Amino acid sequence: MTVIPFDFRPGTLVESAGVSIRILMPKTRLSLRARTAAVPAISRALGVAVPEKIGQRASGEGANAETEILCLGPDEWVLLTDVEQVGTITAAMDAIYKEHPHSLVDVSDREITVEIFGDKATDLLTLGWPRNPLSVPIGEARRTVFDGASVVIWHDSETSWRLNGWRSFMPHLLGLLVTGCRELSAE
Amino acid sequence: MSQYRVQGKGRVSHGKPVSFSFDGKTVTGLGGDTVASALLAQGTHLMGRSFKYHRPRGVVTAGSEEPNALIGTSRGPGRFEPNTRATMAEIWPGLTATSQNRWPSLEFDIGAVNDRMHKLFPAGFYYKTFMWPKSFWDKVYEPVIRSAAGLGVSPSVEDPDHYASRYLHTDVLIVGGGPAGLAAARSAAEAGAKVTLVDENTEAGGSLLSEPGVEINGQPAWSWLESELASLTALGVTVMTRTTAIGYYHQNMVGLCQRVTDHLAAPQDDQPRERLWRVRAEHVVLAQGALEKPLVFDGNDRPGIVLAGSALTYLNRYGVRVGNAAVVVTSHDSAWFTAFDLAAVGTTINAIVDTREAVREDLLAQAAALGIEVLTGHTVTGTSGRLRVNSIRVNPITGSTVGQGRDIACDCVLMSGGWTPTLHLFSHTKSKLAWDAEGKTFLPAETLEDCQIAGAGRGLWGIEAALVDGAEMGAKAASALGKAAASATYSVASDRTGTGEAQKELPTDKDLTSTRAFVDFQNDVTAKDLRLAVREGMRSIEHVKRYTTNGMATDQGKMSNINGLNIAADALGKPAPEVGLTTFRPPYTPTTFGALCGYHKGAHFDVTRKTPIDPWAEENGAVFEPVAQWRRARYFPNTGEDMDTAVMRECIATRASVGMFDASTLGKIEVVGPDAVEFMNRMYTNPWTKLAPGKCRYGLLLGEDGFIRDDGVIGRLSDDRFHVTTTTGGAARVMDMMEDYLQTEWPDLNVWLTSTTEQWATIALNGPNARKLLEPFVEGLDLSAEAFPHMSNAICTVAGFPARLFRVSFTGELGFEINVPARHGQALWEKLWDAGQQYDICAYGTETMHVLRAEKGYIIVGQDTDGTVTPHDAGISWAIGKKKPDFVGKRSLERPDIVAPGRKQLVGLLTQDGSKLEEGAQIVLDPNQPIPMKMVGHVTSSYESDAVGKPIAFAVIEGGFDKIGETVHIPMPDRTIAATITGTVFYDPAGDRLKM
Repeated sequence: MTVIPFDFRPGTLVESAGVSIRILMPKTRLSLRARTAAVPAISRALGVAVPEKIGQRASGEGANAETEILCLGPDEWVLLTDVEQVGTITAAMDAIYKEHPHSLVDVSDREITVEIFGDKATDLLTLGWPRNPLSVPIGEARRTVFDGASVVIWHDSETSWRLNGWRSFMPHLLGLLVTGCRELSAE
Repeated sequence: MSQYRVQGKGRVSHGKPVSFSFDGKTVTGLGGDTVASALLAQGTHLMGRSFKYHRPRGVVTAGSEEPNALIGTSRGPGRFEPNTRATMAEIWPGLTATSQNRWPSLEFDIGAVNDRMHKLFPAGFYYKTFMWPKSFWDKVYEPVIRSAAGLGVSPSVEDPDHYASRYLHTDVLIVGGGPAGLAAARSAAEAGAKVTLVDENTEAGGSLLSEPGVEINGQPAWSWLESELASLTALGVTVMTRTTAIGYYHQNMVGLCQRVTDHLAAPQDDQPRERLWRVRAEHVVLAQGALEKPLVFDGNDRPGIVLAGSALTYLNRYGVRVGNAAVVVTSHDSAWFTAFDLAAVGTTINAIVDTREAVREDLLAQAAALGIEVLTGHTVTGTSGRLRVNSIRVNPITGSTVGQGRDIACDCVLMSGGWTPTLHLFSHTKSKLAWDAEGKTFLPAETLEDCQIAGAGRGLWGIEAALVDGAEMGAKAASALGKAAASATYSVASDRTGTGEAQKELPTDKDLTSTRAFVDFQNDVTAKDLRLAVREGMRSIEHVKRYTTNGMATDQGKMSNINGLNIAADALGKPAPEVGLTTFRPPYTPTTFGALCGYHKGAHFDVTRKTPIDPWAEENGAVFEPVAQWRRARYFPNTGEDMDTAVMRECIATRASVGMFDASTLGKIEVVGPDAVEFMNRMYTNPWTKLAPGKCRYGLLLGEDGFIRDDGVIGRLSDDRFHVTTTTGGAARVMDMMEDYLQTEWPDLNVWLTSTTEQWATIALNGPNARKLLEPFVEGLDLSAEAFPHMSNAICTVAGFPARLFRVSFTGELGFEINVPARHGQALWEKLWDAGQQYDICAYGTETMHVLRAEKGYIIVGQDTDGTVTPHDAGISWAIGKKKPDFVGKRSLERPDIVAPGRKQLVGLLTQDGSKLEEGAQIVLDPNQPIPMKMVGHVTSSYESDAVGKPIAFAVIEGGFDKIGETVHIPMPDRTIAATITGTVFYDPAGDRLKM
């Protein structure tokens, strides 16, 4: 089993014929908690239509194009954005806090995200993911477990996925994924 | 070419010889052979020795149910596997196979002396014999029995292979690739279902591989099979061979074990040896077929006595005749066809012995045409031959009288007692079976799962019947998934159907105490043993099974259960269903531990969480310890230092100047919202309303029962935002508990919890020089004692990194905890380390942290508390907000037993002889009282202490607060230690050093 270095340097971790894994550049990641009633106001403040169905995602437009929001639970979302946008977003959310109380917490460093792509990317996920990958439509994501650890898995295209998990769990998870790449190559 | 190999016959590669070794001798088989078929092709039947009596045994089957031919296989160091079934082990050039359970050799085995003394080893022998003297059990009987018991030799070297596992989701999973399974696959796939078909054999086909003579829809069986498999693949069916469905679990979760490389001469490094599939199927079709039963007669276990259906497989699939001169013994039509096929390739059939009076005319006619003597209404009463059968004794039966016996010479016996539907997987799901009185067997009845059972598995016989039934069950499965399905039609020519009659042990003219009619070949259980068990009072089949071990071998009674049941039922004079059938349990066939472990071994055994600063600790020689899922640096030894020396040095350095500690594993929870302070008031014992932003407070968390659950320093960042810290091990538990209360008790509160444990790397600086070291790195904050006193917090930058800075201390020294985003943790650590060199900075680990906190009387939840300790017991009632209307656990603190005197209370202990106590040691008041002594408490923490000048300890002692100054005693194996009860604060009781 490969031991994964702990610095999570962005870039390719493993490349193989069927599937490759890349550690992504860190983005700002904000955990957003609020009651459903606040969703319209939050959507206006963020300039993104905040999805209300668990697993659904939405992206911003224009200057906000890099902003992505995913509904993780009935009162929980995760917001990905560029560092430059954080100030704007925080200010907009602060402005509605009194009327629409919520919690916005920076968890950018809590998690590491990798992209898994290639013809066998979906097969690779079956090594540790008890769910049926095809039950997650392209363009959605799920908070789920992979090899026993809590992760969020994003289905980006037929052959491309993102997986993010808490930092201290990632060497374990990446170790399995790298082993899996070699195993799939030997098929 | 050996005389037993039939040129051109079978599915083996006749032009491709493959050599391997068996017991050191080179054996040459053909590509496609198993070890068993290759040995049979050179005339070898003797492949093993039995478990109890060490009787010579030959192969009896051609499949995974084989009870006798268990061998060791090896491909080099660490790659040895005992108890491999020779009937399943495919040969490859270089394979090393060995027989087992024999010494010195398979042909001459000393252990066979057991067989001569078999009358000394009846059923229940161990229970009866080794009762006396009782003291002999541990030292003599058990070790001797253990060394004599067991099949094969356990591997002694670590297995270098790797093992894989995957999840698979499919609409329809079909277990068994015979006619029923293939037809089911077609129906389901044509209806649009995603179908996975698995078969434990090298190739799909099942009975078709042994029946090349039939024609399906006008095509010869094997060419139909080839085109059908291609067509199924084109329909999108996934066919997995060498894949055994080992267990059927709740809600259609089926475990599969796929053998990936065992058959390969040179596997690639990255190929796993085996892969465990966890399949979640919408619908399951079990098409596992039926297993042939042996007949139970005296001497039915000699090498050369083979199941007739298996002999047919050896002939038609492997091109091997199992002997030159055969006697067929049967109670089922199917064995007759084996006789006819063997006769056609030169094996002399000396007789067909059928226990039935009447047999089908066409069979009799064909036997007559081939010149085979037929003995209907006959029984078998014995066999002879030491390492191979050489004759069989048969007797006519008239009514209930067994007539005069007659010996017929032979070199093999082909037996068939009929067929038992394979219901193992079906039974795993607790599905119900129904007794079929006519067939004397169990058939599948009801199931709770979305499951169909098709073909011979539900008692049908014949290839056409299996195909038609399979097609129907496949269509049913697809319809159940809402897919419109039709079942294809099949017409089969030359289908060799038949029926039979189930038997208990065959009638004999011999004295029953002298016969050895085996029911369970692997565990050496005879019909006599089963009858003895019933005579000795066993009434349920479950008791009979355990008393005799019938069906308890690694084959799980695949061949013996039904025969055993019929014999026990006969002995009890009850119908079989009233005696019951033992439960089949997973796995279906023996499964390696490797496959079950999968990837979880070595470094990947379990998650080991590491902090962002862990690489520095590793580089600097830290010794680690596991704390919950984390590994933490325990101490940093210099060359030659043991733990005690290193910890003493770390403690001295920290108190003298400055020490640094990686506290990143502390749990962190951000509590945010307008009701944050109300939430904190309700969760924690402490009052929070008056805690100003920028200040910190020690927080104590109780359970509903009033006992201490967790603690930690909590900082108020703003009116609506708290930074809560928890113990390392308690982080997830505390978060869950809080979320639970929030969602179920107080859903009205506008407050939300976010775990930030891994957002922040936390570095603790402690010691009189901590401020001097930190100050130059901090921007936007006055660190002076006046501006930033003990228990303050602030947001600032440290070394240019955004930081949450806490002035707190778990050592009693001036202390800071710097939280920076995790990615900067190691960089900040290294900057502080470099700058700290001028102050002789010391990195310390958890052990030093424990000592320093104990010197100050700070408790560790989970070490000094054990889930039964209240705040008062721990001496920290001051942490309770007395004026608060409520908090979790408040009412429990009023319970009579909580306020009663004499509870165990946390106190300090100083030994009178200056020795260090052992953590966990029990405490008594009077060391001279009779044993068992009354224990009044135990030591919870104990350390050498430089600051105190002697060892210190904490203990919980009944009524301890009232016993300060008294002497207690700690009895140890070699002596009794006297200690004086003290308070828990040993160092700087006024707390001056905190305030610097």
